[in-house]
Amino acid sequence: MRAEARFFKSLSDETRLKILWLLSGTEELCVCDIIDVLGITQSKASRHLRHLYHLGWVTDRRDGLWMNYRLAVTPNSPREKLLKLLEEILAPQPEAQALRGQLAHILEAKQGSLCAKRLKPDRQRSPRSLPET
Amino acid sequence: MKKEAQLFKSLADETRLKMLWLLMGREELCVCDIMGVLGTTQSKVSRHLRYLYHLGWVTDRRDGVWMNYRLSVAPGSPEDKQLKLLAEILSSRPEAQALRDRLEQWLAAKGQGKDAAACQCS
Repeated sequence: MRAEARFFKSLSDETRLKILWLLSGTEELCVCDIIDVLGITQSKASRHLRHLYHLGWVTDRRDGLWMNYRLAVTPNSPREKLLKLLEEILAPQPEAQALRGQLAHILEAKQGSLCAKRLKPDRQRSPRSLPET
Repeated sequence: MKKEAQLFKSLADETRLKMLWLLMGREELCVCDIMGVLGTTQSKVSRHLRYLYHLGWVTDRRDGVWMNYRLSVAPGSPEDKQLKLLAEILSSRPEAQALRDRLEQWLAAKGQGKDAAACQCS
């Protein structure tokens, strides 16, 4: 039953819980979005996202300098049921709703551009021409 | 959202998960029953049970030298929903079923006063 304990451990950290909550409200998020909404450092966000990645909660997609993450849950899996439970528990909470509101605000301001404000000016104009790293 | 993370943390430890699973199958269990079934020390069992007690998962009842514990989650509460999900996940696991079987054997042996289960709780 160690696997099950590890499974619940994914949600036993406040930051990971918040990250999953944000991801379950949208299709895909850039690490920079999560950094902005939660007000945490890039290293902390990336560490937790890698944790979730290795446990199979999310898949990643590189886009220039940044990594994007989305939930990877199969229908009717224990994971999906746990996410639904999380959704059910958090939905009535003002703190959780405020986080989603903040995310919507940040995404709207960004309007589909890459995490422009974190890139250098020349990169901001043509983010697609970033050298492959 | 710290409280929710803490709730999930209750289930993030293998021993606590097993204890909750055992308690879910019975009305009340003595610390010695859990020790017998899980094969762990009294200090480890008691430590985890106190943890669960302080988070409101269980209530306790003293009976002589032993403490008895039972689940105390309100129907429809987040804790209750987590337990239901846990039950759903574990009910198909042979390891979890084996634990429940071992508990039944243990309690039956205790009922017959066999030495193997000789803790002096009623």
